[in-house]
This record gives sequence, structure tokens and C-alpha cells, in this order.
Amino acid sequence: MRLVATLTALPLDDELTKRSMTEAATTRLGGLIAGLRQRGWVEGVNFRLEVRSSFGGADRLKTAVQELLELRPDVILTGSTGETAAVMAATKTIPIVFATSNDPVGNGFVESLARPGGNVTGFTSSTAEMGGKWLQLIKEAVPDMARVGVLFNPASTPRAGRFFLDSLEQEAVTSGVDVVLAPIGKAADIDGAISRFSEPPKAAMISLVDSFLVVNRQAIVAATAKYRVPMIYPFHYFMDAGGLMSYGPTLEVRSADYVDLILRGTKAGDLPVQSPRKYELLINRTVARSLGLTIPFTLLARADEIRE
Amino acid sequence: MNEQVDQGHLRTPPGRLFRKYLYSIVALAFAALAINTGFDVWFSYREQKQLLAAIQREQAASAAIQIGQFIGQIENQIRWLSRLPPELSTNEDDRLNAIRLLRLSPAIAEIAELDAQGREQVRVSRRVADKVGSKADLSTSSAFRGANESRAYYGPVYFFGDTEPFMTLAIRGAGRAPNVVIAEVNLRFIWDLVAGIRVGNTGKAYVVDRMGVLIAHPDLWPALRRSDLTGHADVRAALDGVGPPSGGLVREDLSGQRVLSTYATVPSLGWLVFVELPLSEAYAPIYASIGRSTFLLVALLAIAVLVSLWLSRRMTVPIQLLTQGARRIGSGDLGLRLAIRTGDELEALGDQFNRMAAHLRDSYATLEGKVIARTSELEKARDQALAEHDAAERARSIAVQANETKSRFLAVVSHELRTPLNGVMGVLQLLDDGSLGEVQRRHLATAAASGETLIALVDAILEYARLEASTEALEARDFRLDQLIEATADLMRPQAFDKGLTFDLASDATVNTSVHGDPVRLNRILLNLIGNAIKFTPRGGISLTAAAEQLDNHVLLHVTVRDTGIGIAPDMHERIFEDFVQADDSIARRFGGTGLGLAIARRLTRLMRGELTVESKPGAGSTFTLDVPLGRAASGIAQGALPPPSRQLNVLLVDDDPVNCEVGEAILNRLGHHPTIARNGASAIELVRDQAFDVILMDLHMPDLDGVEAASRIGRLGLPKMPRIIAVTADISSSARERLAGAGIAKIVSKPILINALREAIEDDPQDEPAAVQLAAGALIDQHFLDDQKELLGAAQVAKLHQLLQQTSERLIDDIAKAAAMGDHKQLARSAHQLGSAAGALGLVSLFERCREIELAAISMSPVECQSAADELAALQQASMRALDDLLAPAGATANT
Repeated sequence: MRLVATLTALPLDDELTKRSMTEAATTRLGGLIAGLRQRGWVEGVNFRLEVRSSFGGADRLKTAVQELLELRPDVILTGSTGETAAVMAATKTIPIVFATSNDPVGNGFVESLARPGGNVTGFTSSTAEMGGKWLQLIKEAVPDMARVGVLFNPASTPRAGRFFLDSLEQEAVTSGVDVVLAPIGKAADIDGAISRFSEPPKAAMISLVDSFLVVNRQAIVAATAKYRVPMIYPFHYFMDAGGLMSYGPTLEVRSADYVDLILRGTKAGDLPVQSPRKYELLINRTVARSLGLTIPFTLLARADEIRE
Repeated sequence: MNEQVDQGHLRTPPGRLFRKYLYSIVALAFAALAINTGFDVWFSYREQKQLLAAIQREQAASAAIQIGQFIGQIENQIRWLSRLPPELSTNEDDRLNAIRLLRLSPAIAEIAELDAQGREQVRVSRRVADKVGSKADLSTSSAFRGANESRAYYGPVYFFGDTEPFMTLAIRGAGRAPNVVIAEVNLRFIWDLVAGIRVGNTGKAYVVDRMGVLIAHPDLWPALRRSDLTGHADVRAALDGVGPPSGGLVREDLSGQRVLSTYATVPSLGWLVFVELPLSEAYAPIYASIGRSTFLLVALLAIAVLVSLWLSRRMTVPIQLLTQGARRIGSGDLGLRLAIRTGDELEALGDQFNRMAAHLRDSYATLEGKVIARTSELEKARDQALAEHDAAERARSIAVQANETKSRFLAVVSHELRTPLNGVMGVLQLLDDGSLGEVQRRHLATAAASGETLIALVDAILEYARLEASTEALEARDFRLDQLIEATADLMRPQAFDKGLTFDLASDATVNTSVHGDPVRLNRILLNLIGNAIKFTPRGGISLTAAAEQLDNHVLLHVTVRDTGIGIAPDMHERIFEDFVQADDSIARRFGGTGLGLAIARRLTRLMRGELTVESKPGAGSTFTLDVPLGRAASGIAQGALPPPSRQLNVLLVDDDPVNCEVGEAILNRLGHHPTIARNGASAIELVRDQAFDVILMDLHMPDLDGVEAASRIGRLGLPKMPRIIAVTADISSSARERLAGAGIAKIVSKPILINALREAIEDDPQDEPAAVQLAAGALIDQHFLDDQKELLGAAQVAKLHQLLQQTSERLIDDIAKAAAMGDHKQLARSAHQLGSAAGALGLVSLFERCREIELAAISMSPVECQSAADELAALQQASMRALDDLLAPAGATANT
């Protein structure tokens, strides 16, 4: 029996850590199990899945990594950059597949995307130019916005947020919008950070790619509704929580491919780091209406899914 | 035994034919099936391979078309955008159109619309913020230029973010100032297409761009790694424009698996779509086909073996039946019937076989009947022949008995006649004691001659009887031929003279020789011939000539007896040799006689392998010619009187007749032996037990104990030195000889005893070793003669003669020496004659002979020869005198004591 271990930043009671077989593609973990099943790996029959959460701080992360390594798994899947770095520091032999990493070369995870080398490979998420794209899209939804608030946790977002900020600030200049950074360090800061953008001048917000934000997505969405602040998100998870709109890579779960290959003996370092192929735009019209926004044609033409 | 061997040799090994058929049929079936299957498999293999390659080519072409269509669709969409009239839309509408297009075609990541001068009007992207009216100058971009040159531009594949294959596609619009639409196409969407291409179950299709870089692969990650496949020979060849091999190419794929590979080119793009099918799968149907064929072959072979077994059995069982049948018929079991029910030629053969056996059986039955009949006939004939044979046998035995009776009668008669004759003859011999007057001596001689004639007469009858019974056997020994002839002549001469006939003896010098033969029988022939001639010659005379011809290994004696008698008519020439035949009865009355003489002579001659013939004319006399071959004597026989015995022997004479005893004793004394007399067999045995005898002379016919019986008993005494027993008998038939041989008697002396015959019989002792001294003495001196002289003259007279000879011989030797020295041949001859005469008087035989030779040869001798002869005689005289001294001296000494 092979052992596949997963380390996630989400608490284990989060919906995204559910591994429902029926709704396979909706969560990353469910997608993995379904994909492995297609490739001949049946949980409980020829492989076992162990899930550990790093939720709860640095100590918790260390403990979770230690627990996983003691299981001597055949492959470890990591959720985000923080977990990947922690596991990589702990082992140089056990293959590691990261689910998302915006800048694996910059983080020093891999030598190159085509030939990672070492024991790590995985998938990139949004590219740096996406900062400008998010701004353009939210500006189309909120044409009268004068400033944009950028929400992120410097501890868990790539390069403490700078990864996306360059393109974002450049687009802000083009479109005449002020960029206001709203870094937060803990969940309690969320309410305050968002509330600041409810007052004029008219503002909208961008949520950067940040596992901390994903973990606290409910609180964020609730705060935006409470303070009637339009916000664009990088993942569709936020839409499930009642967000206005999201733009990001489509959840094409390819980790099952790599787990399968590694279980069959391929070295992780030989497998190239994959970039996202598709991007999807999701808009919740009900939320938009509640915020008093009218979605223009260009956005509607672009939207992959419009929720009512 | 032979039969078994034959059968064993002919027996065929069981099942040999069966195996032969079986192997042949199986081999045939196997060969046919194997060849068929082999060809089938081979052609099927080739066809399937071709088919496979064709299918794969089709798949590659299909994949190429699909990829071409995919790109073509994007191209059409872009063309649609490029052909929208400028008047129709503002920049913002252009953006909306582009957004629509992005939504329509997920593979397009970015679209830019340029005006005819190459200035960017709108750029819509999925990743970066859209730009409207930036007027950026892109006129120098290869896409813009490429589109302007050929309306549609397909850029090279490039990799975004190190891993994502992209391609730039540019289309020029229509009109006077056409826009150019440039689209960045994410080729990863081709992957879905490529992954969807089914090549068998495990086969793969992949796409290589014009530079040989892998851009799409179902395994995804090889393409992500920007794998450069220009190192692969087939990719290289395909890029160089070489068409794919018709049968496909077998090579190793990226994972080292052996695959059947082919490719097709995507139109307009120049990409290559490779289609690979693992050989294990590609050839699986072929292998399955081969497997099926092999299984079928094995199955058919098994069936063929079974069918062969059945066929072979069917073919061989009747043949084996036939073989067994033939063997049983061969061993005589003709009642056998073969039951072959094959309904073909073999059954016919079996029937023929049965008919043949039946015929044989009938023939045997007939044959047996004939054999029984013939056998009974033969038995009858045999019985008859046996009966005849028995009768003949009885007749023969009667005849034999009669003959034996005759022989017994003759033997008895002869014995009865001979006994008195023996006495007469013995006495006559003894009468001549030297004191008789000349007249008396002549009368005595005549009486002796008459006695011998009488014996001869009896012998003639007896001999004829023996010859008749073919029981006569020759008794060969050495003798002097001239002496025999002269003695015969001397014997017959008086008869001739008595009748007033002349008697001439003309002996050739060649008869002066010793020969080996039967002198008694030869003597008898001559006596018969001469007697016959005298008898039938009234006047005139008889002439006897004799000659001996020396041939290779024998001597041929040639004797003629010629008379001037009455002669014989030619028709009687042969008849006179028949039994009891005389020329005519009157002759018998006139001349008397038995008429047996010539018959005996002829029979004896033939017994000696000689010839006796006659030439005669009536009134002109007759000439009988005798030719007899004689052997050569082993050694010369001394001339003259009796030779001395080699040594004195103790001889026991056994005879019941007192006269015979007396004669025998005298003869033995005369022969120089020491006789002892036994008057019957019993006393003879007693004497032999007590005394040692060298020789026993045994009379066979004795009243108390038969001579043969007595000899047998003596033989059983177990004496340390067994005396030699010599039988004395008148019956010397072969049956008598056999009887004697059984009793250990090898030698026979016939009665009446003749001195010479007895001497030879006694002397003829193979065990007797001759004494050298006696031989030497004997060679110089005839000791018997000397003894005779001593006996006749007395010792004193002999001594006187010895002395006289001593003197005379010395004087004569001197004379001879002088004569030789002087060359006086006459004196030499005369003196030699005188010396010879003197030497002869005392038995100095050697000297006597040499003197005679020299006397005869003296006339013609050379002086040297005379001298040597004289010397020789002198030496011989000396030696002879010394020998005589030795012989006489002991006697003298004995006499003195």
C-alpha cells in the first residue's frame, strides 16, 4: 500500500479539505482522489491518503511536517508556498508536489520550470501580470472607483505582495487609480482593513493570491458585504463564499498525473512545473446588484460564469 | 535345430511394417500440414504487417488532418475578425469582438489587431490588462510582415514561461488598407486532441514542429520539457522530406519500448504527426494467428497420428495375419484358416492363402497314402531280400564248413604223412656221419632226395589245397639266388641222368647275388618245371638258363627250362596250367603224376607277382619261361656251409614224438645251441618255470596239452625273461597263424624241420644284440664250417690242419709276394688258388674269397695291382690266422684240461 500525504494550510474542518467523491472536481483534494482513481489508484486499496493541516501558526506547521515525515510517505502534496518551503527544508528525498506556487524559481523551489531538478515539482498559479488584469477587471465593474485597496498577508503572499504589485501599480497609473495597500497579519485585522474602503473616495479592492486569505475567505467576503466594498478575488473559492467576482486559473487538477507518475517511479525533478492553461472569470450578479453595480458588456462577454 | 534357425532367421520383427506405415503417413501429414501452415503464417504475417502499416498511416494522416483542422479553425476565426470592415466598429467594438473570440476559442491566449501600417489598435489578453489604441508600432514584427507577405502567417513554436508551447498566427484582412490580426495560440490545447487520438490500445501519437521539437505528446510532460527530437533518425529523415517507409518503421520510442512507427505531415504547418504502436500490440494479432495456426497444426497432427494409427493397423493386421499364417503353414499346421475381412486385395490374398493351404493339405494326404503304400512294398522287398540273404548265408556257412572240413582233413593227413617222413628224413641226414663210403653216401643222397621228393609230393597236394583256400602266404627271407638254382639243378640232375638225358645249367653271372624272397616257393616252382621237363622228355635233354636283371628297387629273375620232350599242342598251352590237367589222359597214364605241378607253379608264381608262360609245339619240345621279381637282400649271405650262431642259446624242444625229438635235438646241436627235451606240454611248463630258456620249439599237436595252450600257460607264468616260442607244425594256414598270434607265438617252423629254416627262425631275434667280436670272427672265418670240420675230422685232425695251414699259407704268401714282385701273373694265380684252397679247408672264408678273386683277375693285373693284391692277401692271411688261433686256442685249452 502506497502512502500519499497532503499538507494543507486550511483547517481540517474547512469545506475545501472535504474529499467528497460525488463532487469530485469542486475541491482540489476531491479532484486528486478522482484523478488517481482514473489512473488505477484506489484509496484504501492500493494507496492511503494522509491529510495534515498546518493551520494554527508556525509551531503547528512544524509539527504537521514532522508527523508526515514520520509516516514515510511515497509523495507529499503541499497546498501553498509556506508548506512547500517547510517540507522541502525537512526532506531532500521524498518527492514533493506543490499545488500552487506563483514563483517557484524565485522561491528557490526549482532550478527551472522545464527541468526542476531535486525532489520537487508542481504547478504555478497566476502570473505577475495578473495584478494589472485584476485591476482592469474591477475597474470595468466599478468604473467610478478612484482608489484600489490591495488586501494581502505579507507573510504568506509571494514576495510579500510585490510579485503582483508591479503590474498592478503600472495599470493603476494607466487608469488613474490610487493604489492603497492593505496588508494584514491576522484574521482580526480583516474587518478593519476592509472597512477603511467603505468611505469615499470610491474604492474597490483586490485580494491577492494568499493562502491566508483563502483560509479566511468567509470573513473577508462577509466584511465586503458588510461595508459594501466591491472586491475581486484570484480564486473561485471566494465566489462560493459569496464574493463579487473572481479571475484566475481554472481549477484543472493535474496533480493526479504527477502523483501517478511519481508513484510509478518517475523522479519529481524530471517533471516540468506546469503553468495554468485556462483562466476563468466568475461574476455574481446578485452581489453586484446589491452593491449597486452594473456589469458592462465587455465583462459579461468575457465572463465564464455569471451567478445570480 | 536347423528349422528353428531358419525360422529365426526369417522371422520379421513384430510391428516393423506397422511402424513403417505409421511413420510414413504421419510424416506425410505433418509435412503437408507444416508446409501449409508455414506458408499461411508467412503470407498472413506479411499481409497483416502491410495492413497494420497502412492502418497506422491512415491514423497518422487522420491525426494530421485533425491538427490541421484545429489550427485551421483558429485561423478562420482570426480571419473572420480581420475581415470585419473598419467602419463597422470603433476600437471598443474591436475589443469586444476580440473578447468574444477569446471566449470562443480557448487556445487563443492573446489577440492583437494592427492597422495596415503595423500600429497596434487593440490588444486583448487573458493574462495582462487589455490595451486599446496604444498605437504601438509593430510593423517590424515577423508576424506582421509574414501576414503581409502571404496573408496567413504561421510562426515558429515558442515556449512561454519555459514550458508552454505557443505559436503566433497572423492573418491579413481584405480591402485597400487591410488590418492584420495577430493571435498567440496556446498549443497545449492540441494536447487534448493528441491525447484523444487512439492508436490501438497502447499506441501513441505525438507532434513535432518544423524544428524537430516535441510540441504535443499524450504523456504531457515530455512536451513540457521542450524535448528536441532531431536526434532521432526517423524524425531527422522526416524533416528532410523523406517519406515514411511503406511497411512502417520499427524503432524504440522515448521510453525504450519497441514500436512500429509512421508519420504524416500536417498540411500548411509542416508539423509531423508520429504514430507509434508497440510491437507487442501491433503484432499481437499476428502472434495470435501464428498461435492459432500452431494449435491447429498440433491438433491436426494429433488427428493425423490417430488416423495413421488406425490406417496402419488396418493395413498391417491382415499382413501380420498372413505372416503368422505362412509361418504356421511353414511349420506344418495346414488346418489353419486365415480370417481376413478387409474387403480388398488383402482379403483376396488371404483367401488364396487358405486355398493354397487346403491344396497343400490334400496333397499331403495323397502323398502320405503313397508313402505308406510304397513303404509297405519296400518292407516286403526287404523281407524277401533278407530271406534270400539268410539262405545265401546258410549256404555259404555250409560251404565254409565243408571247406574247413577239407582243410582239417588235409592237415590231419599231412601231419600223419609227415611224421614218418620226418623220421625218415632225419635219420637219412644223420646217417652221413663221415664214415660212409662213396657209394653209400651216394645211395644215402639218393634216398634223401627221394624222401624230399616224397615230401614234395605231399607238400604239393597240401600246398595246392592251401593255394586253393588262398591261405598260402609267402615266407620271405634273404638267400643266395645262385645257390638256390644250383641246389635245384643238383637235385634234379641225377633224375635227368637216370633217364639218359642231358642236363645243362647255364647260370648267368648276374644270379650270383643275394635276394629277398621266398626261396622255398621259388625252389618248388623250379623243381616242378624241371621235374615236369624230365618227366615228359623221353630222349634228348633239359637245359636250364637263369639270369637276374637288376631293376630300380628289385631283381627280376628270368629262368627258362627247355626240353626236347613231346611238346604241347597250342590249344593246351593255357589249360596245362589249370588244375589236374595234363596234355591228355594217355600222357597221364604214360607219365604218371598228379597233374598239379604246373598249376601249383603258376599259382605260386602269381603269388610272387611273377609270370609263368610256355612255348611249345607237339614233338618239338617245350620252353617254360619264369619271370619273378625279387627284393634285394639286406646284406650278403655267407657262402658255403651253415653260418655260426650269433650266440649259443638254451632251446627247449617240446614234441611228443620221440623220433622228432631225437632229430630236433641233433639239429639244434648241429646249430650250436643247447637243447633240452620235453615230451609233453606239462613237463615243458615245469621246465620253463625252473630253467631260463631263450627259445621254445613247440609242437602244436600233442595229446595231453595243445601247443597253443601250453604257450598260453607259459605266457601266464610271469617269467622275468619270457622265452621266444616258435611253433613247429605242418599246419601253417592263416587261421592257425591267428590262433598262434593270440598265444604270443609269432614264429612258425614247418615240419619236417629243415636245418636252415630252423636256424633262421632261431636267429631271427629282433631283441638279440649281435656281438662285435663274433661278427669280426664270422667275417673272416665261417665258424659253423669250422665246427662242422672239427666235428667231422676231429679236433686233433683240425689242429694238425691248422698247423699245416699256418706253414703252407706263410709259404704261399711268400710265393705270392715274390710272384707279384716279379710280375709273374701265372705264379700269382696259382699260388692264390693254392692259398684259397687251403684257407677254404678250415673255413677262412674271407681269405678264400679274396684268393679266388685275385686268382681270376691275376692275368690282367698291373704290377702295381699285383703288389697291392699281394700285400692285401698277406694282411688278410695274418688277420685270418690270428682269428683262427683265437677260435681254436680256447678249444685246445678246454681239451687239455
